[in-house]
This record gives sequence, C-alpha cells and structure tokens, in this order.
Amino acid sequence: MNNQIFYEDVVEGQELPPFEKLVTTVNILMYLSTVWLMDRIHFDHPFATQRRGLPNVVAPGNMAVDYYTQFLTEWAGEKGNLRKLSIQFRSFMLPGDTLTCRGKIIRKYIDEGKGCLELELSLKNPSGINCVPGKAVVELPMKGSKKA
Amino acid sequence: MEASLLEKLGWKKYIGQETASYAGETVLPRDIRRYALAIDDLNPIYFDENAAKKGKYGGLTAPLSYVSWAIGVPGGEKSVRELGEDGLATFVGVPEFPNTWELGWVRGGEELEFFKPVYAGDQVTVTGNIVDMSEKDGKSGKMIFVTSLFTYKNQKGETLAKHRVTMIATPRKES
Repeated sequence: MNNQIFYEDVVEGQELPPFEKLVTTVNILMYLSTVWLMDRIHFDHPFATQRRGLPNVVAPGNMAVDYYTQFLTEWAGEKGNLRKLSIQFRSFMLPGDTLTCRGKIIRKYIDEGKGCLELELSLKNPSGINCVPGKAVVELPMKGSKKA
Repeated sequence: MEASLLEKLGWKKYIGQETASYAGETVLPRDIRRYALAIDDLNPIYFDENAAKKGKYGGLTAPLSYVSWAIGVPGGEKSVRELGEDGLATFVGVPEFPNTWELGWVRGGEELEFFKPVYAGDQVTVTGNIVDMSEKDGKSGKMIFVTSLFTYKNQKGETLAKHRVTMIATPRKES
C-alpha cells in the first residue's frame, strides 16, 4: 500500500479518522453461526426483551473486538501492527445502530527499536453512549529503517 | 458487609486451575471467509488466496480477532437438550464448576495481545487458566469477577495470541 502511515507522521493527542460499522441482525446471525454461540439474548427477541429486560436482541460483545481490530489494523497499514487491545463491556450494541470507533494517541514511545503508540478508544452508538471503551498499542514503521 | 458469596460458592480453590485445553481442528478457508463476512471485514486477504499471497502475511489468514472466540468455544457444541434454557453452554472465560450456572454471567472486559495471525490450515491449541477472582458489592447485589488467561498456539508451537477474559457473575434475578 502507498498510503502507509509512519511513526514520525503522528503526534500525541492526535485522533485517528473515525471508523463506522452498522450492526445488523443478519451480521449477528452470521457471527453466532460461525462461532457457534446459542445465547438466546442475541437472536430470540421475546426472550431478550421479556425475560431479560433488554431493549432488543443484542450483538455479541465480542464483535466490538473485531470492529476495533479492523479499525486499527487498517489504519496501521501493511507495515504496522496491532500489538494489544483491551476493552470493557459497558453497554449493549443493538442491531440497527451505526457504531463509531474512535482512537486518540495518548503516548508515543520506542520499544526495542519499534515505534509504538498507546491509544484510547471509544465505540459509540448513535445516542453517544460509549458501549465498549478500550485501549490499544499499535506499532508503526519508522522512516529511518528500511525494514519495518 | 454481607457474607462473602465467593466463600459460599467455594470457588477460591479454583484459582490457578486449568479450565480449558482444546487441541484445535484445522481452520478452513471457509471458516475464515464466514467469520470475515460476519464481522463485515471484506479485506481480500481473508477471501482470496492470490491477494493474500501478495499481502502482509503471504498467505490466507483470519482476522487477528479470530483467535478469541472462533477458536475458543469448541466445548460449547451441545445439543438442544444439553443447553441451558437461555441457550448457554461452555463460554469463553466461564469456568465449569459444579455450581457455575446457579449464577448469571456477563462479560466484563478482555485484553488481547497479538503475536501472529491464524493461517488457513493451522491447527490452533488453546490453554486456559483462572488467574484471578474477586468480589464487589454492586448496585444490584454481589458481583464476582473471574479472570482467565487463554494462550493460543499453532501446530508449530508458536504463540499466536494471549487473551485475558474477565467475566462477571451475579446471582440470578429469576428463580
């Protein structure tokens, strides 16, 4: 890829371009089928709403890990790496919601010759609730080194 | 302070115990494709062998996050009759104690450290240990936090990822 971002290109406090994901019931069904998860709050509307008091069926929380992974690996480019991702589940992600992932660089540092960034992450629903706050460590290539 | 629920359940003795060990089956290109479609990540390196060869990893790989669940719940393959009424069976991070399902479980948080991706054709082995347990008085009663560490390795013994999962258990509201 030509649009590789480098460690020298970014500064502390900088925000990454936001990344959006629409959660649909079909995506939820695909996910449940592929990881073989039969928790009824994810697909059984009467069970989720009447028995568990949820507003709707809810997306498996782990889909947030996938969304952040895509957001950060795409941004870091072919020569960058997502090293670490930590998240907390605070609020449910509902089908029909467009979720917005955001990341802010809170620290730049060199670890064993590699350019690393510590990021603060948010994944907000259309009401502005941060459903899954998180942090990440992303490695970016450095302009000085030929080999990333 | 009320009596400790953790004491009553008798779970402290399980800290350090191995909770999961799966010798993985082969990851197929179809598994990767379907996972990528589910999470709506259409990067060709998950779908097209040729594109993948020219890409970052030189071969067809799964999204990095594939390790956490797609690999981690083979123990959850149960028949309708064996599943709980809520559809739950084995769950990543929920240990199988004799009285596990007397409580309701929700995910608290998790931390993933990525080292290498899963390639199509890999056999991924998972081992899990309970590393911590604690208790808090929440707004609506007792909360128990159970943290497990899962390590994923491929058939060459290379570590792919480390995954810390914290699950929160609370007494069930329904009886």
